[in-house]
Amino acid sequence: MEIRRPRFVAAVTLGFALILLGKAGYGQQPSPFYQGKTLTIIQGREPGGTGDMRVRAVLAFLKKYIPGQPNVVSEFMPGGGGRKATNHIFRGAKPDGLTLGNVGAGLVANAILGQTGVQYDLDKLTYLGSPNSASQYVFLSRREAGLGSLEKLRATPGVRIGAQTVGHDIYINGRLFAYLIGLKDPKFVTGYSGPEVDLALMRGELDARANIADTIVTRTPEWIEKGLIDFHAILEIPRGEKHPRFLQLPELESFAKSDNERKLLAMFRSFRLTGSPYILPPGTPKERVQILQEAIRKTFKDPEFRKEFKKLTGDDPTPLMPEAHEKAVRELPRDPEIVKFFKKIAGGDPLPPR
Amino acid sequence: MEVSLFHAALQGLLNLMQLKVFLAMLVGVSIGTFTAVAPQGMGMPLVYAILLPVVIRWEPVTGIALLIGASSVSAICAAYLPVLFGIPGGAGSQATVLDGYPMGKRGEARRALGASFMAGGMGALIGTLTLAVAIPAAKPLIYLMGSPELFVVMLWGLSMVAVLAGRRPIKGLIAAAFGLLLATVGQQAQSGVMRFVFDQPYLLDGIPISIIALALFGIPSALDLALTKLGVEQQAAPLKGSLLDGIKDTVREWWLVVRCSFVGVWIGIVPGLGSQVVDWLAYGHAAQTCKGARETFGKGDVRGVIAPESANDAKDGGDLITTLLLGFPQGVVTALFIVALLAWGFVPGPEMVKKNADLIYSIIWIQGISGIIGTLVGFVLAKQLAKLAEVRYTFMVPIIFIFVLMGAFSANRDPVDLLVVVCFGILGYFMRRFGYPRPAMILGLVLGDLMEKYLYRSMASYGFSWLTRPAVIVLLILATVSFVLTLRGRLKEAR
Repeated sequence: MEIRRPRFVAAVTLGFALILLGKAGYGQQPSPFYQGKTLTIIQGREPGGTGDMRVRAVLAFLKKYIPGQPNVVSEFMPGGGGRKATNHIFRGAKPDGLTLGNVGAGLVANAILGQTGVQYDLDKLTYLGSPNSASQYVFLSRREAGLGSLEKLRATPGVRIGAQTVGHDIYINGRLFAYLIGLKDPKFVTGYSGPEVDLALMRGELDARANIADTIVTRTPEWIEKGLIDFHAILEIPRGEKHPRFLQLPELESFAKSDNERKLLAMFRSFRLTGSPYILPPGTPKERVQILQEAIRKTFKDPEFRKEFKKLTGDDPTPLMPEAHEKAVRELPRDPEIVKFFKKIAGGDPLPPR
Repeated sequence: MEVSLFHAALQGLLNLMQLKVFLAMLVGVSIGTFTAVAPQGMGMPLVYAILLPVVIRWEPVTGIALLIGASSVSAICAAYLPVLFGIPGGAGSQATVLDGYPMGKRGEARRALGASFMAGGMGALIGTLTLAVAIPAAKPLIYLMGSPELFVVMLWGLSMVAVLAGRRPIKGLIAAAFGLLLATVGQQAQSGVMRFVFDQPYLLDGIPISIIALALFGIPSALDLALTKLGVEQQAAPLKGSLLDGIKDTVREWWLVVRCSFVGVWIGIVPGLGSQVVDWLAYGHAAQTCKGARETFGKGDVRGVIAPESANDAKDGGDLITTLLLGFPQGVVTALFIVALLAWGFVPGPEMVKKNADLIYSIIWIQGISGIIGTLVGFVLAKQLAKLAEVRYTFMVPIIFIFVLMGAFSANRDPVDLLVVVCFGILGYFMRRFGYPRPAMILGLVLGDLMEKYLYRSMASYGFSWLTRPAVIVLLILATVSFVLTLRGRLKEAR
């Protein structure tokens, strides 16, 4: 067989040249920054809680939507209600876009209220959004306590209201309800876990509590079916975000008597609205922030993510997008008078007089 | 009713008759066994958190087989670390170190491991049987124990310092008081007041008990080996005791196993007590009630291994009673199990017991079968792992240090934990050298927080009237009688 040598040599040379050009990346986009890298999410909590499940629902989607499909792993740094992890993200984490944090809503509240152990500046962190922001809290009492109406609730002195710890979200909620509804010398009994509060309520050790509306419907449906509980009022976050099961309940703001009381509620709502925020250390390069923000946006909009989130947490996601998140933090009420008022409500002393 | 329960139990068993379910259970058992011998940070909560997103896509029985298979054996196989290295196992297996390690040092590591697995297996079986029987009737028991009753039980537990202090009651009291003091570090849950925090975020939640226990026992064990220049089994030959001896010991002490298993089931049922107290209360009970315990406990008495291990494994059955019957999680692991059940469309609670009785019984069967498999795996591995006790100190000392430091660091990934381990390790070494009982300090630390919580809740809800509750009066009488009997024994011994 005869081979035409010049053509053959030219073809082979061209082939090699094309391969070399391809290897050198001519005519191609540079490989994405995250390709072959590992993105670490530091969680400010123990593994296994609802917060962890919210993060786990996001992991696979972040990998999918970040160009270069990095490995996404989760690490835990519990302590101080997220303060330890946030301090680490703020001061210790390298701002290279490969480390981000996820903590609870205490991130915002602790900073605004000037709590012990806060070593970060809220305004210098970068916010990427939160998978959960909207929620509703309900104030309830056990039926056997005979507190079936708001009048009876107000007329009964020393109603025992259970919660986890002073400063816990459920504790502050209980205090807000008791204060604004106008309970007479309520007693706040703390030191329970969430389910223990329910048990103590059923045992008669407590009379009332605040809880998340979805949790009641999902975890203790027999309370509603068997009429073991009286529901009194609801706190909607954001205002107007109704819960289909509790449409008949009065919104807590309807009990407010002054501007300061309305501002107090606004402050609490804004704390809660930030949900379980994803944060980046100060100084993270802008283009990497944008990549991560875009990935979060795409994740939260993905119908498959909604299904996964519902499966793992039992709740529907109520995402806060990155720009809305930044805005929510920027616009946080920081009026010193209201901060002082809020601290009194959130603290361990008896409620202030109205 | 009985007929329908029988059918549910039978259907529950039939649900498992699939290869994939059995395989899932085996994988779960393997994961649980690995978790038991891994450093403390690789705990069951992390395993569940990793597995959950995967298993909720499976059909329920297979997923349950994997999850329950893993959690039910992690306690059974938790005795390796205490017996072979003198390092407390995870929560629920810490008290095993008190007699397990001295047995290991005496050349009886195999016997200690045999007793531990047998006691764990029997405890798991008793816990599972109680779960099967109690599901229809446990509700009143759960509601019976309020904060006042739990406070008295904790007070009763604290009286065990008298037992754990051995022949040094004053030093025991000092150690327990120091433990109680350490329990006050952090933000007080009831008032929000910061105690001994010094504006340090690390101290906001107090010093982790697991890290203190790890340091107090683990570091002195390593130092001990380094200083004596021997392996764990200091009497190199002939080796005394075999796995079979441990099994025989446990069978002979069946009544102790039953009693401690019920302690475990009860602690599992009562919300809020948790793994941290189960082994200590069972150990204290054994030390108070076993013949001759005053002379032998703490020095390598096999009953000091049997008691905590049987209670710790029986507790899982108790945990599941409250989880399935009321839908109340007893800790992170059961909370995640509830998440999985919810994802599969089951709402744990009275309705699930009525509507999905067969699934409840599938869970019970899986718990029981996994317990048996876990025990067998334990026996198989024990033979090989027990050889570690013969390894020269030059290898063992670094291994123990690595386990202790990795265990401490992997829990929270906080470098400060390493510093805390070193400090408490040195403290543990000197406590041992000068005869201050470390178990008494751990008991003070474990019970301090719980006692404060229950007393506060009792006073806040009932004022002083909680002292007039019938169950409180009965428990106070029992606690006083038990304390007086222990004290009288001590005095007799002193004379």
